[in-house]
Amino acid sequence: MRILIVEDDREAANYIRKGLRESGHVADHAPDGEEGLEMARAAEYDVLVVDRMMPRMDGLTMVAALRGDNIRTPVLILSALGEVDDRVEGLKAGGDDYLVKPYAFAELLARVEALARRRDPDAVKTRLVVGDLEMDLLARKVMRGEEEILLQPREFRLLEFLMKHSGQVVTRTMLLEKVWDYHFDPQTNVIDVHISRLRSKIDKPFPRALLHTVRGAGYRLQA
Amino acid sequence: MSHRGAAFLRTTAFRQTLLSAGLFALSSFVILAFVYVASAGMMMRRADDAILEEMEALEARFQVGGIRDINRYILQRTVGGGADYLYLLVHPSGRALSGNLSGLPDIQPDDEGRLQFTYRRPPAGGTTETDKDDRAGRGRVIELPSGYRLFVGLDVDEENRLVGRMLNTILAASALALALGVAAGIFVSRRFVRRLDGINAVARSVKAGDLKRRAPRNFTGDELDELSENFNAMLDRVEALMHRMRHTGDSIAHDLRTPLTRMRNRLDEALREDGDIEAREQALERAVADTDELLGIFNAILSLSRLEAGESRSAMSRLDPAEIAIDLAELYQPVCEDEGLSFDSEVQQGLRMMGDRGLLSQALANLLDNAVKYTPSGGAVALRLRQTADGLIEFSVTDTGPGVPEADRERVVQRFVRLDNSRTLPGSGLGLSLVQAISDIHNGLFRIEEGPGLVDGEHGPGLRASLSFPVAAKESKT
Repeated sequence: MRILIVEDDREAANYIRKGLRESGHVADHAPDGEEGLEMARAAEYDVLVVDRMMPRMDGLTMVAALRGDNIRTPVLILSALGEVDDRVEGLKAGGDDYLVKPYAFAELLARVEALARRRDPDAVKTRLVVGDLEMDLLARKVMRGEEEILLQPREFRLLEFLMKHSGQVVTRTMLLEKVWDYHFDPQTNVIDVHISRLRSKIDKPFPRALLHTVRGAGYRLQA
Repeated sequence: MSHRGAAFLRTTAFRQTLLSAGLFALSSFVILAFVYVASAGMMMRRADDAILEEMEALEARFQVGGIRDINRYILQRTVGGGADYLYLLVHPSGRALSGNLSGLPDIQPDDEGRLQFTYRRPPAGGTTETDKDDRAGRGRVIELPSGYRLFVGLDVDEENRLVGRMLNTILAASALALALGVAAGIFVSRRFVRRLDGINAVARSVKAGDLKRRAPRNFTGDELDELSENFNAMLDRVEALMHRMRHTGDSIAHDLRTPLTRMRNRLDEALREDGDIEAREQALERAVADTDELLGIFNAILSLSRLEAGESRSAMSRLDPAEIAIDLAELYQPVCEDEGLSFDSEVQQGLRMMGDRGLLSQALANLLDNAVKYTPSGGAVALRLRQTADGLIEFSVTDTGPGVPEADRERVVQRFVRLDNSRTLPGSGLGLSLVQAISDIHNGLFRIEEGPGLVDGEHGPGLRASLSFPVAAKESKT
């Protein structure tokens, strides 16, 4: 993937750039909004990572300008402002996802990859397939091989999210946000417990595990 | 501050008093002026009427007895002075025939034939000297058919004098009203300035750092007293906030220092682990976990500050609390079961309240986190939502853990307070402060009480944490 990092803090930008390269992506850097806007207009990027507060042109203005040019590249906004109002403002300006500083790199990577995936026509799919695990979104039915797996509604949404992002790392925070719509981190390991419940339904009775734990980051569903 | 002495001149009170004094003086002037015009007019009208009457009487005499009769009449009247009227009969040649006036006033009559003039009184009682003073008179002149001119007038000097005195009195009264008003203004605004100065002095010393000073009050409940009251209430709040900030600062220093030191030691250790890569990796991993804990505390402090500053009201909406309770019950039931706790939820449907779903969920999640954390295996946790007898919407989380001793119940809600037996468990000491802050911005009531009691004698008295909120008003459109 080709990713543009628009961030005025050179050290932070280098940290993201190095991490993205190590994960096999190509990353460019722009030190402010104006240059970022120019670079995003000039070249095709898969995802833009944009800092909210920057000199010359702030992130939200830059994203709004891009959207005004009808450039639809997915944007992940980075910000130290993390209240609901700030998020709403960021998403209204045309951002696709919002990550509050400070963040773990794994979180950023997972979200960037999830955003790139969003451009695939997954949204209109009515069938998701990972290995021998199949989900029928219309009939709300999950099959593994020949066996039907019965899931609670929330488990269904959890699995749906994991399947839509199969092969990618999905963090606990992402799951809380996207599956439960909670923007806070409970102190107890609620997500781990729910994952292990799901795992006992979709993996345990079968010889090959699909749902993997990625240490220090989150989970990955992969055939 | 260079013109301290004249400060009252700039006050609103002084300007207001000056304005009302001016208006009062003006209106009394207008009223008196009206009285003046009316009474002066009346006196002159009466004089004019008398003149007209006498004139008509003389004209009637002329019709009967001709000019001689009039002449005789005037002579009779004026001889020896003391006549009520002023008369003059003038021959067509311009010579005065009879009368008590030396000559016709040299003034053109107005539209109705009236004359207003001054004259000197003719010599009376044998003296030859005419009076030295000009006197005011009113009169009327007509031309008789034979070319004679007849003047009849009245002396109105007394009346004019009276009217003049009246005008002077009116002007003096108005000036006095104005002067009294200004004096009152100075008096009132001096008092006002003195009281304001008291408040300003307090503001200045607070600005200079003395937060203990309070504005003087006279407890009359007037505007300035109310200002002082509000000003003092504001200072109380500022002082409390400063105090809390200082306390928080100390607590942050204390609570962040511990994990930071731990992390530093681990990193230091990792640096010295030359050969053992696995040990180094473990140390680094633990350091990352410490960082996450620090970030957690940090985020909690930030959201707490924001909540306490009251900045999060914007996301309030009308919502069904049952949805919040059901979602959380579903999130926490498996957690409880994994910890060997039984979990129970009772949710009353169909209630409506104003709230922020995210914040309310976070508050309940904090309470449930605590219940799970502190209740030993084999205990019971319950989440309930119901409408209480007094009509409030009450969320409650109960457990059968050790509970909180009554003496500590107020303290645990404060920032960074952690009871001794919880120091070993992870946590920031901010969870319940967050719950309190969230409750506050929802106008709620957060209570910590004794729980449902002992379960088979093995566990503590338990804890019951409850949040109650007012019911939302009925929606107008439904």
